[in-house]
Amino acid sequence: MVAALAPYRALDLTAEIGALASRILAGFGVDVLRVEPPGGHASRRRGPFLNDGEGSLYWAQLNAGKRSVTLDLEDEADRERLRGLARESDFLFESDPPGAMSKRGLGFDDLHGAAQQLIYVSMTPFGQSGPKAQWAASDLIGAASGGLMSLCGDRDRAPLRPSVEQAYALTALNAGSAAMIALHARHVTGRGQHVDVSMQAAMANTLGNARLYWEMDGIETIRAGGARAFADRATRIVYPSADGYVAFVRMPRGMTDLAAWMRAEGVMPRFDAEYWAGISIAGSVLPDDDEVAELEAEIAAFFAARGSQQLYESGQRHRVLICPVNTVQDLVESPQLAARVFFCDVEDPALGRLRTPGAPAVLSRTPWLEGPAPTVGQHNEEVLQAAGSAAERR
Amino acid sequence: MREDRVDALRVFEGLRIADFAWVGVGPNATMQMAFHGAEVIRIESSLKPDTFRSGGPRPAGVNSLDASAYFAKFNRGKLGMALNLQHPRAVEVAKRLVAVSDIVTESFAPGFLNRIGLGWEELRAVKPDLIMASMSMEGQTGPHAGFRGFGLTLQATAGVTGLTGWPDRQPVGTGVAYTDWIATHVAIIALLAALDHRRRTGEGQYIDVSQLEASSLVLDAALIDALNTGRAQSALGNRDLRYAPHGVFPCAGEDRWCAIAVTNEEQWRALARIISEGEELADDSRYASAALRLAAQDELEALICAWTAERSVEEIEATLQAVGVPAHRVATMRDAHEDAQLAQREHWWGSEHPVVGDVSYESPAWRFSDTPPPRPPHSPLLGQDNEYVYRDLLGYGEEEFTELLIDGVVQ
Repeated sequence: MVAALAPYRALDLTAEIGALASRILAGFGVDVLRVEPPGGHASRRRGPFLNDGEGSLYWAQLNAGKRSVTLDLEDEADRERLRGLARESDFLFESDPPGAMSKRGLGFDDLHGAAQQLIYVSMTPFGQSGPKAQWAASDLIGAASGGLMSLCGDRDRAPLRPSVEQAYALTALNAGSAAMIALHARHVTGRGQHVDVSMQAAMANTLGNARLYWEMDGIETIRAGGARAFADRATRIVYPSADGYVAFVRMPRGMTDLAAWMRAEGVMPRFDAEYWAGISIAGSVLPDDDEVAELEAEIAAFFAARGSQQLYESGQRHRVLICPVNTVQDLVESPQLAARVFFCDVEDPALGRLRTPGAPAVLSRTPWLEGPAPTVGQHNEEVLQAAGSAAERR
Repeated sequence: MREDRVDALRVFEGLRIADFAWVGVGPNATMQMAFHGAEVIRIESSLKPDTFRSGGPRPAGVNSLDASAYFAKFNRGKLGMALNLQHPRAVEVAKRLVAVSDIVTESFAPGFLNRIGLGWEELRAVKPDLIMASMSMEGQTGPHAGFRGFGLTLQATAGVTGLTGWPDRQPVGTGVAYTDWIATHVAIIALLAALDHRRRTGEGQYIDVSQLEASSLVLDAALIDALNTGRAQSALGNRDLRYAPHGVFPCAGEDRWCAIAVTNEEQWRALARIISEGEELADDSRYASAALRLAAQDELEALICAWTAERSVEEIEATLQAVGVPAHRVATMRDAHEDAQLAQREHWWGSEHPVVGDVSYESPAWRFSDTPPPRPPHSPLLGQDNEYVYRDLLGYGEEEFTELLIDGVVQ
C-alpha cells in the first residue's frame, strides 16, 4: 500500500515550535528531510532521555519517520545545497524570527523564483509582521498572549500553563492544516506560496465562547479551576476518586442516569434527580450555593469511594458523562488503546526497539507510516548525492 | 472581486461536503474548507439541534436556535439543510445527497449511522470514490467506542488535564474543550491527504479519527517517556523542566498577570539587571546556570514578584521586551479582542448575521500570500438552504418536496 502523500517531499528547518507539523505529514507519507546543523539539532539534547542523559525521547517523538541531512546554513556552499533541495521539494517548514531566513538568502522571495512549486511555511510567535513580530517569546508566551491561560487555573492563584507545550503543538498543527490547504491551492494555481502561521493566533483560536462573551456581553469568563465555566458562572467537573481523579459533567437530563447508577451500586441518592434534571447552568434559573454544595458533596462521596477506571467503566454503562483524569501511565495501560493496537514498536538506529504512539487518524486505504527518528546526517550521502547529480543534469 | 480572492475560492471549487458532524471538531474542520470555496452542507434537525445552537452567548432575550454566536462561529461559509435522520425516509434523502458529494463528515456515537442504514458500506455503494471521516471520542472500535464525552471531558481522558495544575492541588484542565482544537487539525490533514490520494488514484476511503488518539500528539514526550521508561510526568504549575525562572507573576491592578520565561543565559542576565537595578544579581554565581536557577526557583520567583507587583502589565511587557526577555501579559478576553498584533493581522473577522447580529469571530491562524480567502458568509440559519439543496441539487419536484415537509422528513 502506498501512503496518501507519498509523492511529496518536505524540508524541515524548524526549532521546537514546528517539528510536529512535518512529523504528521511524514506519517501520511511525505518524505521529510530534517535539515540539521553539523553536530545535530539542539532538540536532540532535550530530555526526557531513554538512558541517563542519552537518547532523547523528545527527539524520537517529534522526528519519527523523517530523514536527516546536515547543512551549515552559515556557509554559502551549504545554502546553495539547500536551494537545490528546495527546487526538488514541495514544502519547506521554518521557524526563524521574521527576516532571518531572508538575510541568508533563504526567504520565500529568494527561493520562489527558482522554486515556484515550493510551499513555504513559516511558524513564529506572532507572525511575519506587526508590532510584536520581533518580540521575544517561548511556549509560555504563546499560551499567555493568545488568552487561553487566563481561562486556565484556580481563581485564587495565578493563571496556569495548559499542561506541556500546547502553544508549540497548536502552531505546528495549524501549520500542517495550512500546508495541506496550500497543496490543494497549488493544484489550482500551479504555484506554491508563503504561509505565515502565528502561535498567538493559534492559541487565540482555542478560547471557546469566552471571547464572544466579552464582545457581546462585556463579561470576562472566570478562571474556574477544575470546573466548567459559562462566562461568570461555573459547575464543578474534577472530583477525587479512590485512586486519582475523575471528570464528571453535570448535564441537564444526566442527573436521572446518575441517580440510577448510584442505586445500582447500592447507594441511595438523597438528591431529587428530577429537580436537578431541570437545572442547566446555561439557563436562567440557578439553585443557590448551599443546594449546589450539598449535591456536590453527595456526588463527591460516591466517587471518592471508587477507583477512576472502575467509575469510567460502570458510569459510562449507565450513560453518565464521566471519565478518568488519566495520567500518562493510565494511557499506557488503556484497554481502549490496546484493543485498537494504537502503540507500535519501531527499531531506532540509535536507541534500539522503541514503543511509540501510533496513527492520530486511521485511513482505510492508505497506511500511516511508522519509522524511527534519524541519526545526525544519516541520509547525507543518499540525499545530497542525488541532489548533486540532479543539479549536474540540469 | 480581486483576482487573488477568486483564486482563493477556486482551491476547493466544485468540492461538496455533506457535513453530518456537530458541535466542535467536525464543523470547525469543514469550515476551513468552506473558506476556500468548498460547498459544505450542514445537515441538521430542529428535533435534535446542534448543542451549540442552544449555547451562548446570544443576543439578550432571543431564544431562537439561530441566535447562538457559538454556533455561528463554527459554521461560517456553509449551507444549511434540515433533515430529520430519525425519519425512515431520511435515508433515501441522505443517500441522494451523498451521491452528489465528495466528502461525508460525521461525529455521531459510533454505530448510529450503521443502525439507520447510512454506514460507510452503504454510502460508498452510492458514491464509489467517497471520502468519509468519522470523528468520535475514542474511535469506531474497541471496548470504549460507545463511551460518551466531549472536548471538556476528553482532555481528561487524553492526559491533558492531568498535566495541568499545581503540584499541591488537584488537576484542573485547560478551562475550554481543548482537545477539539487538536482533533480539528488532525481531521483536516487526514481529509486533505485522502483527497489528494483520490485526485491521483480515483480511490475514496474511510477515515476513523479517534479524538483520544489524535490528542496523543500534544503530550510532547510525556507519553513516549512513559511507554519506554515507565516514568509518569506530572503537573508542574507554571514551571518548566528546563528553564528558570519561568512563571506567571502578579502585576498592578485587579487579576493582572504577566508571563515571563527565561530560556537562556542572556535573557537571565537581562532580566536580573532590570529587577535588581544593577549588575549584582546578573553576576551572582548562585544563579549562573539553568540548573542552578531551577534549584533556586522559590527565591527567584519572590524577587520577580516584588518587581512586577508594583508595575502595570504594559510597563512590564515594554521593559522586558526592550531587553529581549520573553514576557507577555496573560491576555484576558478583552486583551485578546483588542490586541494590537492580532488587529494588525486582521485576525477577528466581522460577520453580520441576521439573528446574532454583527459579531467578530476568529480567522485561521495562518495567512496565505497567494490565495487569501475572502470573509465568509454568515453561518446558516437552520434549514436556510432547503430550497436549493432539495430542489436544485437533489432534484426533488415541488410536490415531492412538499410531501417531505408534511411528512416531517424536512425538519
